[in-house]
Parts: sequence; C-alpha cells; structure tokens
Amino acid sequence: MAQFNLPANSVVRSGKKYPAPAPVPGHSVKRIVVYRYDPDQDENPRIDTYELDLDTCGPMVLDALIKIKDEIDSTLAFRRSCREGICGSCSMNINGANTLACIKAIKDIKGDLKIYPLPHMPVVKDLVVDLSQFYKQYSSIQPWMKTRTEPSSGRERLQSEEDRKKLDGLEECILCACCSTSCPSYWWNSDRYLGPAVLLQAYRWIADSRDEATDERLQELKDSFKLYRCHTIMNCTNTCPKGLNPAKAIAEIKKLVATRGS
Amino acid sequence: MGKAYKLVEHTFDVVVVGAGGAGLRATLGMTASGLSTACITKVFPTRSHTVAAQGGMSAALANMGEDDWRWHMYDTVKGSDWLGDQDAIEYMCREAIPAVVELEHFGVPFSRTEDGRIYQRPFGGMTTHYGEGIAQRTCAAADRTGHAILHTLYQQSLKHNAEFFIEYFAIDLLMDNDGTCKGVLAWDLASGELHVFRSHIVLLATGGYGRAYFSCTSAHTCTGDGNAMVLRAGLSLQDMEFVQFHPTGIYGSGCLITEGVRGEGGFLTNSDGERFMERYAPNAKDLASRDVVSRSMTIEINEGRGVGDQKDHIHLHLEHLGADLIHAKLPGIAESARIFAGVDVTREPIPVIPTVHYNMGGIPTNYQGEVVTLKGDNPDHVIPGLMAIGEAACVSVHGANRLGSNSLLDLIVFGRAAAMRAVELVRPGQGHGALRCDSVDKALDRFDRLRHSDGDTPTAKLRAEMQKTMQNHAAVFRTGELIGKGLIKLRELFSCLSNIKVTDRSMIWNTDLIEAIELTNLMPQAIVTAQSALNRTESRGAQARDDFPKRDDKNWLKHSLASIDESGNASILYRPVHMYTQTDAVEVIPPKARVY
Amino acid sequence: MNVNMLRRNRFSGIIPLGKGAVVHWWMQRLTAVVLLPIAIWFAFAVAMLAGASYETVVSWLQSPVVTALLFLFVVATFYHIKLGMQVIIEDYVRGWLKSASLLTSNLACILLTVVGIAALLRVVL
Repeated sequence: MAQFNLPANSVVRSGKKYPAPAPVPGHSVKRIVVYRYDPDQDENPRIDTYELDLDTCGPMVLDALIKIKDEIDSTLAFRRSCREGICGSCSMNINGANTLACIKAIKDIKGDLKIYPLPHMPVVKDLVVDLSQFYKQYSSIQPWMKTRTEPSSGRERLQSEEDRKKLDGLEECILCACCSTSCPSYWWNSDRYLGPAVLLQAYRWIADSRDEATDERLQELKDSFKLYRCHTIMNCTNTCPKGLNPAKAIAEIKKLVATRGS
Repeated sequence: MGKAYKLVEHTFDVVVVGAGGAGLRATLGMTASGLSTACITKVFPTRSHTVAAQGGMSAALANMGEDDWRWHMYDTVKGSDWLGDQDAIEYMCREAIPAVVELEHFGVPFSRTEDGRIYQRPFGGMTTHYGEGIAQRTCAAADRTGHAILHTLYQQSLKHNAEFFIEYFAIDLLMDNDGTCKGVLAWDLASGELHVFRSHIVLLATGGYGRAYFSCTSAHTCTGDGNAMVLRAGLSLQDMEFVQFHPTGIYGSGCLITEGVRGEGGFLTNSDGERFMERYAPNAKDLASRDVVSRSMTIEINEGRGVGDQKDHIHLHLEHLGADLIHAKLPGIAESARIFAGVDVTREPIPVIPTVHYNMGGIPTNYQGEVVTLKGDNPDHVIPGLMAIGEAACVSVHGANRLGSNSLLDLIVFGRAAAMRAVELVRPGQGHGALRCDSVDKALDRFDRLRHSDGDTPTAKLRAEMQKTMQNHAAVFRTGELIGKGLIKLRELFSCLSNIKVTDRSMIWNTDLIEAIELTNLMPQAIVTAQSALNRTESRGAQARDDFPKRDDKNWLKHSLASIDESGNASILYRPVHMYTQTDAVEVIPPKARVY
Repeated sequence: MNVNMLRRNRFSGIIPLGKGAVVHWWMQRLTAVVLLPIAIWFAFAVAMLAGASYETVVSWLQSPVVTALLFLFVVATFYHIKLGMQVIIEDYVRGWLKSASLLTSNLACILLTVVGIAALLRVVL
C-alpha cells in the first residue's frame, strides 16, 4: 500500500565525509554522494560524501564507484560485472534517474553526483537491492518458447526477416530492472503488478512468430493487476538505459487482449 | 576457527559452479535428465560474461554457401596451431550443427537469411575447402549473440525448473583423501551463511581469468575462481601460457568490438591509412586468426605506424558499410563505440588495440568434460567427481589460439556433453558417503583468515600491480628475459597476499572480502601463466616469443601442465597432444606451416 | 528504504479478474471517447446560455436531443469516475480500507447518477 512517509528506521541520516586530498592545480574535483546501509549495524541508512579528483578517474559513474572502493572506502558494496552495458548488474539511481553506472558518463551530470539504490526495492547493503521478487515475476510469465508443431528434423525453424524484425527492441532487454523500479505503479503494487520489464519480456514471446502459445500467454496476462496497473506513466521508456520501449510493448499487449479477447 | 561458522548442508547429484553459457547448458541438460542439480553462481545467470559475446557461434550449417564440418575442423586445428586435441575438435565441429539447431529450437532469436534460415557471417580463420575460400559459418543474432544465447539458456533452465543458488560465491572444492571431489563450499552473499554442497560430481564452469591483466575485454567477475580452486586442490592447469589478445578492444576502455565487424567487411588501417593486414595475411587479410592480427597490429604500432597522438593504437573502419547494414547487423557495437570512444561509426573509424580476451588454457579435460591429469604413465587419468567445461576448461579444442565464434560453440557442445556424461556416471538419488572433515575446515580456515586479514596492502593496490606486471611481461610479444623479470615480481606480489588488508569484516555482501578472495584466485593463475610462457621456448599461436620465433613441433607439440605450491612456486609437466580422431569420417590433420 | 521496511514477499494472493479487467479497460476508453465531445458541447452550450432566462433554459433542456445527450453525459461521467476511482483505490489502498473505499466510491457514483437523472427528469417533464 502506498506510504507517504518513510518509517523511522528508514530515514536517511547524513554520514561520513571524505574530502579530496590536497587539490592538484587545474584538476576538477567532484562531490559524490552515496547511499549507504549496513545490515549488520543497527543504524539507519546514511549518506556518505566523497570528493574525487576527476582527472585521475575513468569517465563513467562506475569508474568513480570503483575508485572510491579501491582508494577510499573498500566497504562500499555495489554490483558490477561487464562494465559495457550488457550484463545489467550495475543498475542504480543516479541523480534521480535509474540507469547503468557503467554507461553513464560523469560529465553528463551537473553539480554533485548522487548515487542511490534502485528505488522502492528492499536494500540488502549499500547499493545492492534484493531483486528476487523481480526474478520471480520474470519466471512467472514462462519466458521460454512454447510450440506444438515439431520442427523439421535436424533443421532450424524458419522465420522471415520481417518476423525476426518484430523482436528488435524486445529481445535486447538485459533485465537490469531500471524500468520496473522507476514505475510508480510498480512501487505500490510490485507484489501483483508484473512491471514494465517483465511485461516487455512477455510481449517478446507473444511477438515471436515461432511461439505457438500467444492465446495462452494473453489469457494469463488478462488480469487487472498483472497487466492493467500500467497507467502509461512512461517512466519505463524514459529511463531504459538500452533505449527500449516497454510502455509500447505493454500497449501492444493491451491491444491484443482487447481485440483477440475470448 | 572454522568451527565458529554455522554451515548449511545440501546434497545433490551434481553441483554446477557457474551459470554462463556452459554452466547453464549443463544444468538444464542434467535437470532435464532427472539428476538433482544445483547451479551455484556468483552473479545472476544472465549477468555472466557469456552475455558479452557478440559475433556468433560457428557451425557448418551451409545456410549461406557451401560448408562442411570437416573444413571447420581443419580451420580449428590450424587456428590452434596444432596444439588442439583432434579427437575433441572433431567432436565439437561435428556436434556444432545439432547444437546450434537445438539452440534455435530453444528460442534463440538468430538473425535470418532471406529464406528464413539462421544468418551466418564470415569470421577470422573460417574457410572452405581446407583454407581455399572464405566460409560464412558464424551463426549470429545481430551482434548480441552471447546475450541471445545466455538469456535463452536461462529461460530453458526456468522451464526445466533448475535449482539455482544465485549470488553464492564458491570458496573451495571439497576433496577427499583419495583425490575424489565430494562437493564444494560456498558463501551466500545475501544471507551471509556458508553452505556445504555435497555431490557426486562438481562441474566447474567458472570461466576465464582475464582480470589477471590490466586491460582486458573480460568482465570484472572473470577471475577464474574454478581454475584457482583446482590449483589449490593440488591439480594442474593446462596450456596457461596461451592468452588470446583480441585485435579490437576499444582503445582506453578495453570494451570488445566483435570480429564480426571485419566479417561484415570492416578493416584495419595504420597511420598511413594503409590496410596493413594485406601484407601480413595476403589471403585472409583482416580475417586472419586473432593471434596473427593482434601481432600484426602490435608490429605496426612498434614500428611507429600507430594512430593517435601517442601513435599507440590502430583504426577500425566500418563507415563504408553504410548505416543500414550497421543498424541491422552491428547495432550493439555502434552503441559501444559511441559510449566508450565517442565515435559515430557511420562517419569515423573506431580506435582499437589488441586486448586480453580469452584463456585457451584451463582445467584439462577429455571431450566429455571429465577433468584429467597426468598420473604415472597415464596422461588421461580421470579425477573422480570433478568435471570442467567452457573457458575454465582446456579440452583442448582451442590449442594455442582460439578461432572467433568457436567459444560459444565450445560452451554449448561441451555443456551438453558434460550433462550426458554425468547422466552416465551418476544414478539419481545415489547415496553420499561421509565427508572427511578437514577439507571443509581447510576451506573455512582460509576464508576466515582472509576475512580477518589485517595487513597493510589493500586488495586494489596488489591487484593493480599484478595486472600491470602481467600486461607488461606476458603480453603479445614475449622474451625469456621479460617473462623472467615478471615472474620474480609476481612471486613478490604472491608473498604479499599474506599481508593483505581487508576492512569489511561482515558476512552480508562483503564485496571487500570477495575481491580479496578473487585476488587470491587470480595470483596463482598469473604465476602459472608466466611460468608456462617462460618454459615454452617456441612461438605457437598466442605465444609469440621474440627469442624463439619459430614453432618447434619436435620439442613442443605437447600440452603444458602447470601446478603451484603454497609458496607460489610453479612446476611444469606435459601431456601429449591427441593426434588422432574419434571416427573414420575424417583423417588426422598433420602439422604444417600456418599461413593465412 | 531498508530491508525491514520493504521486504515484501506476498507473491500469493493474485486475484485473476480475467474478463472484468478487459471490460474495465474497454469501458474506461469508451466512456472517455463519449465524454470528450459531449463535455465540449455542454461547455459551449452553457456558455451560450449565460444570462438567459429560466424559461429559455428549460425549453432548451426539453429538446429531445439535448435531454438525451445530457442523460448520456450524466451516466457516462459517473461511470467514468467510478472506473477511475476504482483504479486509484486499487493502486493505493489495501485491506478493509480498500473494500470500504470502493463501496463508498461506488455508492457515491450511483447516488450522484440517480440524483443527476432525477434532476434532469424533473426539469424536463
């Protein structure tokens, strides 16, 4: 249910400050504000502030986080892996927008750099959030190819170039959860609303000419909570770091449900 | 000290460590066959580094011109500079065709030809008629083939209800007195608990160790944890000197630009604007195998023909391909080039440099994924209970140099082979004998010692020094003197591991400790890599020794087996290369000069 | 936003509303499409009648087309409100408060519809 005030144990306090070492002339220093939460301490979350010399730091927000971890505070916890925007590990909220830290350039951010975990998710530690509900929802849509007809033995199923094109903008999703956790409707109803990422994936299978379970999939989605909590707020599409359009996929599902209705 | 930890115990028929392409393919095969299978992974499956594979997966489907798996085998053997085991290569190239068809049936969104078949592009070293023409053999899903395959395999695992232990970090193998692997100890990052997984088979699918180098295309998580566990168990790793440099990592960031760019018609130029590959590989040109292209680029740079202010990199052109083709077949690299090099690929070349990309070496196995070692006279002695697949393994199908798009193939073919072998070896629900306690205690002690390690060298500092040492002393061109110096430095760094500083003592998502453990995993691999490189006094595939520029089949047509003791001293033994085939369908390909 | 506050694992309790959800989605769009022209027409008409005498307004109302359109306007408006309120309540409210809010909102819409129609009939008849 919607909550309009943070409970007492979630109120964010101000934390430690790590000033930049003696400034080098000509170098620019950036203040980086990072949300910290340590599950082992019985303390509220806090905001730590680090000052970094940008001239000795890589160009991306992830580079700044790694520099902090390597040189200032090794206890800072965040997920990262591929550092090229394809694995979806380092999704976080950077200056108010969910994105991947590895492909977000520091220079694109004016003023202080503010890094928070993905909004409205249970925080495990610092910038690491619990995505198990998100993953559970992903598997709930049965995201695998369902067919009844047998393919010709030893050969691939055929798919025209036009039909394959219908998967562009859908199959590229990296499950980073930036879109779902930017959606107010998902904030209030993530227990029942599937959210944009999972609906995009549902549509990926509906749109695949090889899949033969479209009606079954639509039937499953025909639910006032799973699907219709989407109120076309469009945060999902605005925030997607891969430039995908989950809102359009959801609209397509609604259209199909309405027109193929049974 | 170990006693202080509460252990959660599980029993499974098989435990798979790693959920990349190989781990997932094996997991779903085993689960589907009724074996109770746990897949332990330190990152959520779709975040494994398979996801970053771009160009494609080779298989002689002949969708876009004539092809034959025997030609594929020839190319692979030649690519391996004859160090690959030909029985395994035969198996892989023959099984490639059903493997890729199976993936399509799983739902992989391959790009398509006009008649609706799987699209195939040319790739380095892939030829027809035993080196005559250029083959279109690499099955592609635009330039995100790894992403497409990994996500599909995860989806299939969900379909089969596979049991995952996600964000569990494997600490060590549990080895019995008689050398049998009995399970693995892992750390659940979310709850902070330690788990003992008992199983009849532990299958390592933990990937490569690219992060031993300063500049690599590999993810931060590519730390070869499985390789390191095997070394700690007193076993050897094979052919560790063979580290592949991908010709086209983005200058600066090291992000990968697929060979598929050159497959689609892209080419490299030096500061004179010359297509220099025409000089080094008159036939294959820019599509020579990766070791050849990387060496050529390095020579161009060393001789002062590099581009840029520092003249230290090369240009990769694809402007001439046109926006339509780029948009349809190479959208991902257009995005990467824009983000990481600030380049619009429809107008400007991409600045690139050879970058560490793949480890041909790893855990020695047979073609069924069983870990083997030299025991007495037997070079193929199987370690009971232990298997390995994927980049972690050295089957060896890649020998001294892997061909592009043979890696995704390796994952799928041997993931499937390992699953089939496990089904033969284990009866579902078979009982587990008592576990010797000291292997758990040893692993716990190591963990606990690191967790409370209060030295004065931060992990990051030690890691950076190791990475720079590897980058400077075990790069594209090597000499005995250079590697020797590097090895001395690495041994010093190894001894510093006991003086490492871990600040975070907590158990939940303690990434400080994870990075420290990963460093203790990387360091011994770095040493055996350097030691093997120093030991092999010839040039073959990815090992290019300036002081021994020729291949020496008389003395060195053999695999190196490197092990390391607790104080960081590596020693080396040998296994013969399998110069035989599995069937009569194809003949052994005898060594000859390798010209592209 | 810490673990204690937000750890929610209520994955069960999904109430499939099936066809209802689709009808809801259709009707919300249908009423919106109906309301758009009527609302504009009504606004214009009222503006034109500004300052007119009581008798003029009554005789305008008694025209069959006007009566029918206003009837439709009242019904569609409150049905649309009912649908919209339902979504808002389902979005933000849980438990008994949700049932109570839905009931109140629905009753209010029915009541207002009845009052609107009664008022219209009284003037027209």
